[in-house]
Amino acid sequence: MLWNCTRNLIHSCLDELLTVAGLTKTFAGKRVLSGVNFTVRSGQVCGLIGPNGAGKTTLFECLAGLLPADHASVKHGDEQLNSRRRKEVLFYMPDAIVPWAEQRVDWVLNFFRKAYAQSHDKVRALSTPLRLDEIRKSQLGTLSKGERKRLMLGLGLLTPHPLLLLDEPFDGLDLRQTRDVMTLLKSEAAGGRALLLSIHQLVDAGRVCDRLVLLNHGETVAEGTIDELRARAGLADGGIEEIFLALT
Amino acid sequence: MRSPSFLLLLTKEFRELCASRSFWIMLLIVGALVGHSFITAVGLYAEMSGAGGGPAALSQGLTPLDGVLVPTWGAYDLAATLLFPFVAIRLIAVERETGGLKLLLQLPGSLGVKIAAKAVVLVGAWLVAWLPGLLAIVLWRSYGGHAYAAETWNLMLGHLVRGLLSAGLGIAAGALAESAASAAIVTLGITVGSWALDFVAAGRGGWLQQLASYTPTAALRSFEQGLLRLNVLIVMVAISCAGFALATIWLRSGRTVQSRVLQVLVLLVIAAAVVGGGARANASWDLSENRRNSFGPADEAVLKRIDQPLKITVFLSPEDPRLTDFEQNVLRKLRRSLRRVEVDYAATSSTGLFETDRYGEIWYELGGQKATERSTIEEVVLDQIYKLANLDSPARSSDDGFSGYPLAAQPKHATLLFYICWPVFVILFWRATTKWVDGTF
Repeated sequence: MLWNCTRNLIHSCLDELLTVAGLTKTFAGKRVLSGVNFTVRSGQVCGLIGPNGAGKTTLFECLAGLLPADHASVKHGDEQLNSRRRKEVLFYMPDAIVPWAEQRVDWVLNFFRKAYAQSHDKVRALSTPLRLDEIRKSQLGTLSKGERKRLMLGLGLLTPHPLLLLDEPFDGLDLRQTRDVMTLLKSEAAGGRALLLSIHQLVDAGRVCDRLVLLNHGETVAEGTIDELRARAGLADGGIEEIFLALT
Repeated sequence: MRSPSFLLLLTKEFRELCASRSFWIMLLIVGALVGHSFITAVGLYAEMSGAGGGPAALSQGLTPLDGVLVPTWGAYDLAATLLFPFVAIRLIAVERETGGLKLLLQLPGSLGVKIAAKAVVLVGAWLVAWLPGLLAIVLWRSYGGHAYAAETWNLMLGHLVRGLLSAGLGIAAGALAESAASAAIVTLGITVGSWALDFVAAGRGGWLQQLASYTPTAALRSFEQGLLRLNVLIVMVAISCAGFALATIWLRSGRTVQSRVLQVLVLLVIAAAVVGGGARANASWDLSENRRNSFGPADEAVLKRIDQPLKITVFLSPEDPRLTDFEQNVLRKLRRSLRRVEVDYAATSSTGLFETDRYGEIWYELGGQKATERSTIEEVVLDQIYKLANLDSPARSSDDGFSGYPLAAQPKHATLLFYICWPVFVILFWRATTKWVDGTF
């Protein structure tokens, strides 16, 4: 109990890196996101959870400036972020993409390293936990789903942005890889960076995330730590799945 | 955050180009097309030069530009129309389809610079495709053939802007359409539309013919005639740049469709203003060795003294060969020599059948005086104009100083070089670059 109170106090003292308010998006008359509000803090892994079709990917694309939102207030601290500044504050790694399929993994890593003026050490530091050395000589188009996911995570983590948006970061990974990636993401957050992960596997979300944002039918249903959400759901000791079902 | 260096972007696009099968297939086909055109052209030129033992055609009519260079390089018009746009489309469409564009859009630096890198690489690709054409010129020279530098460079400039135009249209289509297949249909639609415009506007006069003079085929034709027209150059470069700019606007997916449409409209207005302004640039240079686009120096000097506008009414139908003669031998030169020439194409049918009694007449009006003439011969027309302007006809020299370049040469080694060596070279280079891209080289 004391630990939880201390942790909550620490969290509330952390910088609010990104504050999203009233984000709305309509596709062909259908409202996909409806006034989404949440906050992402520095040094935290924040999970965006919700069922299929909840609007998670659309929300990420709107935040990254790849899709225009109908209405949104996106703030970095006190600064309202325009599209140019958004490119400097956050980076979004989409799910299920196969860019530059004929190119080799090490060239793509090197391209990102040079584009973001990162050191070779940074690439080396990511290579071991993501096991990139095994696939360095392969062409992107020949990679398996899991290998491709590890590379895309590596590219995302290679960027220097304070906030990283990862769409389904564990999709395609086996159990051991999932555990390794979770450790890597937590250490990245411990270094001060904020991560916002879109996850549909609730168990994975519960294991890696410091805070959760529950999205359902394009609306923010709840936001907070698991304990806060449990309290809100009125459950004494329910797991994340029970919390999710109770709140949605 | 610092933008990635332009060199890094160029390297990426170059690697993507090397990984593109469409580029290598284009190179293979271009070699065969150029080779076939060259071998046929040299053979025909030899026949006209009396290779079969008979008398040669009038040597003045034997110009390497018309006989060899234009037919050989004509293969590039076909390539720019039917092959090169697909190389350009691939460079955009594949990134859209595979998600690479989402990463590219988030890279530091403006999208315009990233599209510029694609444009530079495409121009480089087009220049690489010129190797068979350059080889043809080298072979022609090795046979003892003549190539006048100014008109050869001018021809290559025409094909350079033709390629740039194809790249601009391909990139724009790739950006606008959702898939490569749709982009290909859009590009082919534009090509077929420009052919239709060319066909419909021939001999019609007015704004339609003015517009048709800037279709890719018509624009290239003036370069093929040894004529460098500033307005054609400006219009082609402006349309190409507009294509690249349109892609830059449309690919910014984070902006609303309305905002992008508005920006495209602004771009179109600016492009139309540049094209409209450029079209008024009348400067032109006759770079042909036989000065086929100009009257003789004596006539040019007299025509310069005419300040008033000349109005010409032509009662010849578009399909009448006399109109073609009149256009090529008289009107094209008059438009360059006189400050203002207005031409009214008054024939009402396309074939000239069942026209009025006036059919075949050409009316000239200058300073309130009118005259009617049926001839389309240069000297006759000029004398008529001088009479209307109250000027004396100058003494003309019967020798224009161009004696022609007959050459009865056989296209030696051409078959081996174009049909065997070139494909082998392309395939070996293709394999080498594939190994370079996948790192096994």
